[in-house]
Amino acid sequence: MNQPILMRYTTLAFRNLRRRRVRTALTVAGVALAVMVGVALGGFMLGYRGAIDRSIDMLGFQVMIMAKGCPYEAATMMLKGGTGLLYLPADTFDKVRSDQAVESITPVFVGVAQKEGSGIRDGAKEAAFTVISGVEPASYLVMKPWLRLKAGAGFENGRWFKPESEDEIVLGFEAAEYEQRKVGDDFYATIQPAGKPDALRRRFKVVGVLERTGTQDDGTVFMPIRAARLAFNRPNELTILGIKLKDFNSFKLREFENRWLKLPEVQVVGLQQVKTTLIGLVATAQTMIAAVAAIAILVALLGVVNAILMSVYERTGEIGIMKALGARRGDIFQLVWLETLILCLLGSLVGSAAAVVGAGVVERAIRSLADLGVSGSIVSITPKVLAYAVLGSTALGCFAGLYPAWRASSMRPVDAIREGASQ
Amino acid sequence: MKRTAILMAAALIAPTGAWAAIGCTLSNPAQDLKYLFPSMTSYKEELKEFSRLEKGRDLYAGIRDRLGSDLDPLYETFETPYTVYTVFSGKTKAGIVHGVNVPGKGGVIQVFLWTDPSTGEIRKFFFQRLESPAAKALRDKAFRARFEGMTLADFYKHDYYAAADPGSAADRLGRVVPPPLDPDGKPDYDATLRGIRKNLILLDLFVYGRRFEPFFERARAAQKGARP
Repeated sequence: MNQPILMRYTTLAFRNLRRRRVRTALTVAGVALAVMVGVALGGFMLGYRGAIDRSIDMLGFQVMIMAKGCPYEAATMMLKGGTGLLYLPADTFDKVRSDQAVESITPVFVGVAQKEGSGIRDGAKEAAFTVISGVEPASYLVMKPWLRLKAGAGFENGRWFKPESEDEIVLGFEAAEYEQRKVGDDFYATIQPAGKPDALRRRFKVVGVLERTGTQDDGTVFMPIRAARLAFNRPNELTILGIKLKDFNSFKLREFENRWLKLPEVQVVGLQQVKTTLIGLVATAQTMIAAVAAIAILVALLGVVNAILMSVYERTGEIGIMKALGARRGDIFQLVWLETLILCLLGSLVGSAAAVVGAGVVERAIRSLADLGVSGSIVSITPKVLAYAVLGSTALGCFAGLYPAWRASSMRPVDAIREGASQ
Repeated sequence: MKRTAILMAAALIAPTGAWAAIGCTLSNPAQDLKYLFPSMTSYKEELKEFSRLEKGRDLYAGIRDRLGSDLDPLYETFETPYTVYTVFSGKTKAGIVHGVNVPGKGGVIQVFLWTDPSTGEIRKFFFQRLESPAAKALRDKAFRARFEGMTLADFYKHDYYAAADPGSAADRLGRVVPPPLDPDGKPDYDATLRGIRKNLILLDLFVYGRRFEPFFERARAAQKGARP
């Protein structure tokens, strides 16, 4: 009897909800489903953005200088093992290096080596290739200090190649795993030197294997840039200049870009731009996804309103008696409103829990539908996302409960008792 | 133009497609199996791991003796998964297909066998991946056909005859003539033989209920100098 008034309303609201267990459970399930979709998609938006950030940060460069049109070839290379990469004159490196704004710079020569096709059919082998990156370890590692050589059994005495070496290579983690190579093993690759009619099978010596990074480097074969240029018969060319600027902001980047775009064969790409563009592209898809989630929430909301209204109609007589016994409009309003809130709160808690538990499933489902082009987890359900979901559902519950609560509280006792008796 | 260039540059950033795990699976199982078995109506794919086998540790340890060489501590481990494909033609088992990785001289070699479901005989032997100076010779149909009809028993018999009766005409494997190879190709020929043998040993464990063990025991006894 001495319970606070809110507690008494809450107890009463729970009791009312328990009277129609199946309907309550179904309504909670509807809300939970909508919240689960919302939380999972919110987590995906957050996680995917983070994954893009990580992937771009792991590239190590802030700016890349490459030959005009080169990105198309890069894409071809990634997709089909195309051999038509475009190259910059090697002296571009010396020109750009002297720029006062450059903090560090590394030249990269990318070539595509053919591999014996993978397939079981006689005479019809699928094309296979491997990406060979000619780099200078000293400057390359300034950009990517996280690249570490594997140690332990099979990788003892791993090291980076000597700059003057012609047959030493370092394998990315997956390249080594894919070819089952260890330090000291041989590695075959067939290289088509530019301007020569015949491809040559080259034998290289694996001198080091890198730890996994989750980036493109994992599948790359690294060799000294000089040896790579010679192997591909492009002694005075390179593919990319990776650059870090002393002061990196959009203004400085624009200045830098303007200085070097004067070279006719060059294009300057800031990785921030790549990031923004990628995120912009994803945002379009995310808007669509958000619309779907909004519809799911709206449907759940209508379900809640419907369930509570039905409950109110079923209890018309009861509400009339309560009013006749002295219950005020506010009491009835609070009681019905509280029922709506409880449904939404329960649904949001169940939905949030389901989203957390099912995050892995959601991620696998999303990945199975599309190649997202980033590594690492793409669904990040943080406490903040969960808090937003619960608070949002509760707020919507407050809104959804207004009409049924007003409807119930507006009933005249005599009419309500009469109507209830006739039901 | 710039926007497109930026998008394309993203291709350089994107991680490479997931490469195969250390296990050895067909690249396109449905298409590859249909190519091997034009009358195929369905197939079953089973993942086999030593950890799931009774006395898996002992069985794994026993492979070394049966193979006659050490297992690679990195790439031929207890955890390595194997995929066995059972091909059906209607309700009839048409064949068993199984592949293994073996380290070759300059890269991994993937050796696949199609065996008879009841006898364990090799019906066809083929490579999925083979990067080698000897690739042309080893992929040659005539060379691969020399293994057709052999079972794991023939490999164990080869060990037996090598110890008890070298040069025996009954040594089927001993009669297999290697294709013409330059010295650089010899290691890959040896790796190929090792791959076929490893494949048959694993199939004997996974599919054929170790029916070829008596041949192994006899070979081992002969190698120890004790005549059976």
